Amino acid sequence: MIAAKRLYFKYEDDLVLKNVNLEIMKNSFTAVIGANGSGKTTLAKHFNALLIPTKGEVLVDEISTKKDELNARKNVGFVFQNFEEQIIHSIVEDDVAFGLENLGFEEIRVRMLVDETLSRLKIRHLAKQNVNALSQGQKQLVALAGVIAMNPKYIVFDEPTTNLDEKNKKNIMKIINDLNRKEKRTIILITNVLDDLRHANNVIVMKKGSIIFSGRKSELSDKILRAAGLHD
Amino acid sequence: MIRRLTFGQYKNKGSVIHSLDARTKIICVIILSILLFAAKAKFEILIFSSFVFFVFILSKMMLYDLVKNLRPFYFIFIFLLLMYVIFSRNQLLLGVTYLWRYSMLLIITLILTYTTTIPELIKAIENLLKPLKPLKVEPRNIAVALSVAVRFMPVLFIRLEKTREAMLSRLANFRKIMHIKMLVVILLEKMLKSASSLSDAMYARIYNENVETKRLMRFKKNDYISILIVVLLAFIIY
Repeated sequence: MIAAKRLYFKYEDDLVLKNVNLEIMKNSFTAVIGANGSGKTTLAKHFNALLIPTKGEVLVDEISTKKDELNARKNVGFVFQNFEEQIIHSIVEDDVAFGLENLGFEEIRVRMLVDETLSRLKIRHLAKQNVNALSQGQKQLVALAGVIAMNPKYIVFDEPTTNLDEKNKKNIMKIINDLNRKEKRTIILITNVLDDLRHANNVIVMKKGSIIFSGRKSELSDKILRAAGLHD
Repeated sequence: MIRRLTFGQYKNKGSVIHSLDARTKIICVIILSILLFAAKAKFEILIFSSFVFFVFILSKMMLYDLVKNLRPFYFIFIFLLLMYVIFSRNQLLLGVTYLWRYSMLLIITLILTYTTTIPELIKAIENLLKPLKPLKVEPRNIAVALSVAVRFMPVLFIRLEKTREAMLSRLANFRKIMHIKMLVVILLEKMLKSASSLSDAMYARIYNENVETKRLMRFKKNDYISILIVVLLAFIIY
């Protein structure tokens, strides 16, 4: 479980997160929705210990990110909004191997896991390709492969469908859904597109750094969405 | 623009040189570079040049590729030669020898990059630098920095082109210093933002300079033979 307790985060003089309390259960599909600048990405970066709370704490499997950043990073994968900037190496298989090498795996195991991940995402034929020659949809899959290969229990997707065409949007959403339903990974989807809520079973609505709703998708009303500035 | 900047782009020709371990090639290039400037007598330079051309043939590199890749250096060579002709005609032979040495150096480097992929080179550099770890040299940092530079160089050019076009569409004039400055500042700002995102992405995937990558790189029979031949050549020339 990922939990935030009385979480505050201050960036320079701005209080970006204010008294955030939440629980994300294992195997759930949680969408975090809110207008631009509502603090969604800032909140998500706390799950992976990329940001550490100014006040309060974030727990990943009951271990505080303040005490153990590595635990958070091993367990929580993060697919960034701008996936182009998430890809570190120029050759696809080398990039997917990056996280696995950091985990200290032997070369044989690294190659096996890279192969398995690329096959699972149906991009094995791209293994030797130069990243700069790939389409946006393919780059998104490579960024995703780099995270999935590390086998995290929780995966945060930060607006994964931005910059993608309809076909690639559908493909990536199907993959995210399969990761949750078939592989039982916990998904945290950061979005400002209401349509992306389709696959989620829990929703967190944010406004100006605070949570204004947290619960089952069925309980979400138009009134809340209007209050968050997501509905006319 | 990117195409104009390439030197010795890798081509998979499946030659003996292609099949050598990248570390072997780097070691041989280092020995040959030192040897090139140690060779003084005409006989030594002749042996050295014959060896380089032998490796050139083994690498299955086309003469056209060689001429094309050396093209950017012709101007420098002609200029230097002219300087010798005008200012020190009595040392013309020495000048020609130096130019010949530089050409040899370029050809050696060209063969290295023509027969080795960049990821292979980076892995080899990381591997070769490992003994320097006690001297606080972090081979992984150097390897990742090289890799990131290679990865983002085309991105930089694409961004430059896009920003330039966006400015041109709003009537920018690149004869004006102010507009060039603006282009550079915008580009720098974008690259700094990218660098920040990249560092986040690296931390998210547990980047740690102290983790030793366990890459399997094994010297084969041909690697030992190649190094032995180069060492033998060194003995002959010395």
